[in-house]
Amino acid sequence: MIVDRLARAVDDRLRLSPVARKALAKVFPDHWSFMLGEIALYAFVALVLTGVYLTLFFDPSSADRVYHGSYAPLDGSTTSAAYASTVRLSWDVRAGLLIRQTHHWAALVFVAAILVHLVRIFFTGAFRRPREANWLVGVTMLTLALANGFTGYSMPDDLLSGLGLRIIVSVVESIPLVGSWLVFLGLGGEFPSDAMIPRMFVSHVLLVPAVLVALVSAHLAMIVRQKHTQFPGPGRTEHNVVGSRLYPSYSLRSLALFAWVLAVLFALGGLVQINPVWLYGPFAPGQATSPAQPDWYVAWGDGALRLFPPWEFRIAGHLVPAPFFPGVALGGVTFLALYAWPFLERLCTGDRRPHQLLDRPRDHPVRTGIGVAALTFFAALVVTAGDGILARLLRVPVYDVLDVLRVVVLVLPLLTGALAVVLARALRRGDAARLGELTRADLRAAGRPAPGARSSPDEPELPAADRPGERIELWPEGGVWRWRYRDEPAGVAILSNRAVHTEREAADSARLAYPGVDQVTVPGPPPPAPPGRVRTALRRWGNAALGVSLLAAALRRRRERDRGGGGPPR
Amino acid sequence: MRRPPVAPAPPGVNRRIVLSFLAGAAGAIGFAVTYGLGGQTRWEGVCLAVAFAGLACGLAIWGRRLVPVGGYVEEHEGFAPPPGEQALTAAVLTAPDSPIRRRGLLAALGLALTALGVAALFPLRSLLPWDRARPVRALTDTPWGPGVRLLTADGRPLRPGDVPAGTVVAVFPEGGAEAGDAPAFAVRLRPERLTRPPAAGHLDGLVVYSLLCTHAGCPVRLYLKGTGRVLCPCHQSSFDLLADARPVAGPAARPLPGLPVAVDPDGYLRATGDFTAAPGAGFWSRR
Amino acid sequence: MAVWTHRWWHPARAATAGAALALAAGPAALAAPAEVAPPPVTAALVAPAGVAPPPVTAAPAPDGEALYRQNCASCHGDRGQGAQRGPSLIGVGAASVDFQVGTGRMPIPHEVQQPRRAEPVFSADEIAALVAHVTSFGGGGPAVPRVGPGRLPTGRELFAANCAPCHGGTGAGAPLTNGWIAPPLYDATAVQVAEAVRVGPGLMPVFPSQVLTDQQVDDLAAYVQRLRSERLDRGGNPLGRLGPLAEGLVAWVVTLGLLVAAARWLGRRAGE
Repeated sequence: MIVDRLARAVDDRLRLSPVARKALAKVFPDHWSFMLGEIALYAFVALVLTGVYLTLFFDPSSADRVYHGSYAPLDGSTTSAAYASTVRLSWDVRAGLLIRQTHHWAALVFVAAILVHLVRIFFTGAFRRPREANWLVGVTMLTLALANGFTGYSMPDDLLSGLGLRIIVSVVESIPLVGSWLVFLGLGGEFPSDAMIPRMFVSHVLLVPAVLVALVSAHLAMIVRQKHTQFPGPGRTEHNVVGSRLYPSYSLRSLALFAWVLAVLFALGGLVQINPVWLYGPFAPGQATSPAQPDWYVAWGDGALRLFPPWEFRIAGHLVPAPFFPGVALGGVTFLALYAWPFLERLCTGDRRPHQLLDRPRDHPVRTGIGVAALTFFAALVVTAGDGILARLLRVPVYDVLDVLRVVVLVLPLLTGALAVVLARALRRGDAARLGELTRADLRAAGRPAPGARSSPDEPELPAADRPGERIELWPEGGVWRWRYRDEPAGVAILSNRAVHTEREAADSARLAYPGVDQVTVPGPPPPAPPGRVRTALRRWGNAALGVSLLAAALRRRRERDRGGGGPPR
Repeated sequence: MRRPPVAPAPPGVNRRIVLSFLAGAAGAIGFAVTYGLGGQTRWEGVCLAVAFAGLACGLAIWGRRLVPVGGYVEEHEGFAPPPGEQALTAAVLTAPDSPIRRRGLLAALGLALTALGVAALFPLRSLLPWDRARPVRALTDTPWGPGVRLLTADGRPLRPGDVPAGTVVAVFPEGGAEAGDAPAFAVRLRPERLTRPPAAGHLDGLVVYSLLCTHAGCPVRLYLKGTGRVLCPCHQSSFDLLADARPVAGPAARPLPGLPVAVDPDGYLRATGDFTAAPGAGFWSRR
Repeated sequence: MAVWTHRWWHPARAATAGAALALAAGPAALAAPAEVAPPPVTAALVAPAGVAPPPVTAAPAPDGEALYRQNCASCHGDRGQGAQRGPSLIGVGAASVDFQVGTGRMPIPHEVQQPRRAEPVFSADEIAALVAHVTSFGGGGPAVPRVGPGRLPTGRELFAANCAPCHGGTGAGAPLTNGWIAPPLYDATAVQVAEAVRVGPGLMPVFPSQVLTDQQVDDLAAYVQRLRSERLDRGGNPLGRLGPLAEGLVAWVVTLGLLVAAARWLGRRAGE
């Protein structure tokens, strides 16, 4: 009751109910791949939550500090305050290590989830008009995530991350003309500088997260405004979104995913050790640890640095050092290609129409092939960063592994890319529903030139054909109007996501969603109507905001039923 | 106003949801208890994981079994606005009193803003080192110089006898041991095995080279006794000390800079100059 | 409560519990291969080397000369003068012999580039006899060090400065060039650590007393023992202490195996 009254009080003053009704009824497609971005989002939330805790204990300073605590091998040693406070956080602050490890795991999972999400967007063509801007925002967030991951990895000032930082500094130094100036601008001097850790700290906890939060908001706002894409299917057109409503179905599932992400991250944080800085020791310019590797999301750059031959040259007496090509050039080209992809593809295919229906990867074999080739390339580079481990496992010399990898990195992407093109074509032209059902005939068909009918991969979408058996039904229901789409032969019935006040409004929205489909008005709700009404949904909105009260209600109901079955209460 | 009755749930679903939430609550309590008992990373992690997993399970079952999944459609307006709408918006922006029509004023405003923006870039200059050292100088010069004694990691001055054959000793300049570009190492080689005379010379086989890899600056601290090679732990560049530290494998392209040393009257090793080249990774203006 | 408990093993609940168990056991299972990752050295090892129990019965003192002739002379020569297949043993010192035999690196059945750690072939007494016999060839060389108590903080600093470049800051070992490796240190006893420091087996540099004092070697040995004994893995499964890439692999397995799988499950209708 109190929730009801509160909701009413707020609505009386802000008149949120029309907006809220529409927002709560927003439809999300039910395909699982639409939740991949949410994994990244929730990992980011976990990062912010654990990170705030860490800032309360971390001392971002390179000033000398004597560590006294329960880690005996460091007791009484003088290290930088950053390192000492990190060891202290790990050994002497209760739950400190759990939070620190969870934070680091969350960072790894965050970038992994972004990548998986990006791959989904790429292969399904979800970046096409009108969503290019959101693709750009997403790629920017990926770069920021990488940058923040790297500063976070470097801030504890331990030996391993110190090596990583030194490598990055060297890569930046290799930029012609401005390289050393950029390094001095960033570090305030030669590596390792005293200003380095405080500056990384400010960018790690303030600048980049703030920009990330803003970009996440923009990303989500654009999704809400542009609505979701969806895979083709019965009743799905370029003019509608079919799936579950935000409230109650999708919000429950999304919250479940949130809790699950946190559960997995805390389980990792408690059970699997990550970045034991106390073992690596504090950074010292003359010391090294081996094997030196970076976190996985920068490992592709490290792998490229290992693979690239010792080539450098001079321009008018000025040096262009070897790390420039694998470090700066490869990184630059990678992100430039990511940023430019939607526009490059538009340029190549000439497809300027807006798309709300997704491609399946097979629908666009060239794009699929390029994507697979790029993924293979970067995966091979990441493997290269672990060449030491590989050499040790296989008991072969490191340089032999490197020689093999040099070939693999260049050849394997071509092979996998070509294979992907062939398979995609075979799937598209044959009648196999999935990869496992491909026949030899399908593969042969893939080799032949394309049949003339489908010269362009994106033929214009036609308005929904006037198919027999397809119709829109509208009906009044207790003073409001609803409608549903029905395809009797296919056995499909899809209900409109919200009720409207007039028949005209209902007819308009139905015409928007299914242009050209006949509309009929029926006297009452056709059986069986899906449960859940918008007005009760609105009233229960407050309840959901306080999930606790629902839990209490469920508990109370349980107890009552138990009493009813088990005899009179005492 | 009466509410409609709660929809009936399939048998057992309510119980499973409540059980999950209870498991979550138990996990949360377990975390608090673990913390109170002194904290143990594994148990804290497991308890929190159970707490959130319980929540996740309960919510997931709720979302999948008690509320309808799928079967709704929302219209999608598309993004080609009706022409009239754009015209109306444009009319608002281009009304006779609209600021964006006063081009001259706008140009002046733009000038002011641009000047402000450029001026705002100037404080960025303060991010450079306070001593205004130019990067090229700073990267090329090191604390080594004529007369600087070689110290070991624990601060002892080094004598030639402290570097017997087969060992590697990291050395630092006296008075600049903390500098990032200063670390060097001393090894003793058999002079007859040298295939290329060290540019910085040697003292009866004792040579001193910069510790920083010429590829990306990692310390090449892996000395493979007998082969006379050092190896970089970061990208596996390998340098042949017998051939004046030339790179023999891996991505490094330049030899390690050597440090010329001499023995002073007290018997200690002193540098007679700076490294033969700028130590560490390459950069544009590196000689 | 009775109502709940009798249905405790409902499939879904069992699956939940199973998932929790998998979560707990998964990293352990993952780490199992990682732990064996340095197998070249550790696989054959059942008991820590160098602590082989002395024979219980008062056996006659082993004959070092006979042992030498049977096991070593074919490669190293009758008087340790060396041959084509094996280097000279004159002047290598007692520490070197004790290290090579005590860690099971010697004797080797055939020539290899780098002998790996194995179960020692000889008992402690036999090793002592062998050491005495080889030392009798003359030439001096470092004696078997006596390791006293050491200070951990100093040991840690010395380890970081001198050992971590090759053996890794975690002591997990690392590959060098041409198939050589710096072995993991987790099986080395304090005496073996000190011997290796003084002798420099294989490609390892030597650290004679001009470089590291006896006290510093004691400190170093104490720290390596700490690395070895408690393993210092406060944060859970160490993944073989292989570093960030092993961690990244786990992150990917978890992201794809638990999170994307959960999304797949949540994205479907209950009935499907």
